[in-house]
Amino acid sequence: MSFFLPVLLRNLLKGPSTEAFPFGEAITPKKLRARISFDPDSCALCRVCARICPAGAIQFEKKPDGLEFNLWHNACVFCGLCALYCESEGLHSTNDWHLSHLQSEKYDLVERATVKFQKCTKCGKQKMPAPLPLMAKLYPGLPADEIERLRAMCPQCRKAETAPAEGEPS
Amino acid sequence: MSTYKIPVGPLHVALEEPMYFKVEVEGETVTGLDIQAGHVHRGIEYLVAKRNIHQNIVLTERICSLCSNSHPFSYCMALERIGGIIVPERVEYLRVVADEIKRIASHLFNVAITAHLVGFDTLFMQVMETREIMQDTKETIFGNRMDLGANRIGGVRYDLDGEGKAYLAAQLARMKAPLDEFRDLYETNGSFLRRTKGVGVLPRADAIRLGLVGPVARASGVDYDVRRKAPYVVYDRLDFDVQTLADGDVWSRTMIRLREVKESVRIIEQCLRDIPEGPISIDAIPEIPAGEAIAKSEAPRGELIYYLRTDGSDKPARLKWRVPSYNNWKGLQVMMAGCKVADIALIVGSIDPCISCTER
Ligand code: SF4
Ligand code: SF4
Repeated sequence: MSFFLPVLLRNLLKGPSTEAFPFGEAITPKKLRARISFDPDSCALCRVCARICPAGAIQFEKKPDGLEFNLWHNACVFCGLCALYCESEGLHSTNDWHLSHLQSEKYDLVERATVKFQKCTKCGKQKMPAPLPLMAKLYPGLPADEIERLRAMCPQCRKAETAPAEGEPS
Repeated sequence: MSTYKIPVGPLHVALEEPMYFKVEVEGETVTGLDIQAGHVHRGIEYLVAKRNIHQNIVLTERICSLCSNSHPFSYCMALERIGGIIVPERVEYLRVVADEIKRIASHLFNVAITAHLVGFDTLFMQVMETREIMQDTKETIFGNRMDLGANRIGGVRYDLDGEGKAYLAAQLARMKAPLDEFRDLYETNGSFLRRTKGVGVLPRADAIRLGLVGPVARASGVDYDVRRKAPYVVYDRLDFDVQTLADGDVWSRTMIRLREVKESVRIIEQCLRDIPEGPISIDAIPEIPAGEAIAKSEAPRGELIYYLRTDGSDKPARLKWRVPSYNNWKGLQVMMAGCKVADIALIVGSIDPCISCTER
């Protein structure tokens, strides 16, 4: 009894401990692992995410001019592995957990974008995109305009460009 | 008096998870018990062989919700043993922190459910409200209330900066006063004691004979805790007491868990004090060669054993685990002999059974 009297009093003064959602805000921590967001401009089409996703929620589909990225939110288990292993900042865990939807909309809950193949500015061959975040990691310290120039090339031309000239220390 | 057989489960109001008990009763007294499993079998041992080693961290984490950190933790330790990977010291501390937070939440859940099963729902709600402090902590530090996603091969996926440490320390401090109040209440409340003292007794000899583990065994006086007997990560450097009680009844099992919660709080506080600076993961994504390894840890329900065999590919050749609940089910036959029908659900709850672990 002596335990519950103060509890009773506290509860009367403080009101319910539960959150008032949907009539009030629900506490959402910054780090909450919820909806995954995809940024096509930062995707290198390496497809590591599709390989690592334990739920099979990420699929790539061939399109004439590129690959279409699909992430099915209803299959995703919010593990965050894809964002962890994406080297190019293409995927991020957000704390947006508002994923409720009508049954009729279940096939619309998908993160979808086509990432286009590109043409190498030097040899003209078709190439995979080389997004900024990845290139900045590969060539740390290089000026921005130089990175822009290099990332418009295919890996072979890029290698040829960045290889040290004969006699120069590498 | 005539004998009856009554079915309890697989779906039953008093059971939290599906298990089928064929109970033989004479009047109101239980005289025999047969347990049948298999209602939530998902074939996870097969599924792990179809997924790569990284995906399996997520899959093993979803074997069970309450010990969801123990599974990927032990799995990673087995992988690291095969790969000869030495994890940074900071990782070892962070792994302990994650595991102990889960232990607190798991134990408090069972302590609360026990109150609910004796019909003391006010107490149930109070304990659950205190447990909520840990749930919020998990959500804030790890990003999920149940599946922490704390482990990766060769490291962890979360870090504690100054702010995180201060937050965690404050959350732990908030638990202390209610924990002491609960201890007093569970120790002295007449209605709770009448329903749990001397009920579902498991003598020490039976606990050893049947190979029971975890809080269930410790409540029967078996001084066995993997963290002490076969220390892993940094448990050998941490100061904590392995809790034991002698009576082996429902009350003792509840008290053991309540006391272990306090020990876990102590362990985390020491980690926060001693944790060295350093990386939270090895650099490269490791290749795992062919080999086999065993890893053990003390899950909230007791000793969890992982056996892993690899063949050099990125998928396990075989992954097999023995969960603590598997051994503990056997104890029910001893505990229930001679008990009253009304106590069946309470006794089942007192071994804190995890059916999704047992059947996976
Ligand atoms: S999102 Fe990231 S991991 Fe996935 S294909 Fe693009 S770059 Fe690779
Ligand atoms: S969060 Fe996990 S389940 Fe969801 S898409 Fe990424 S890897 Fe797949």
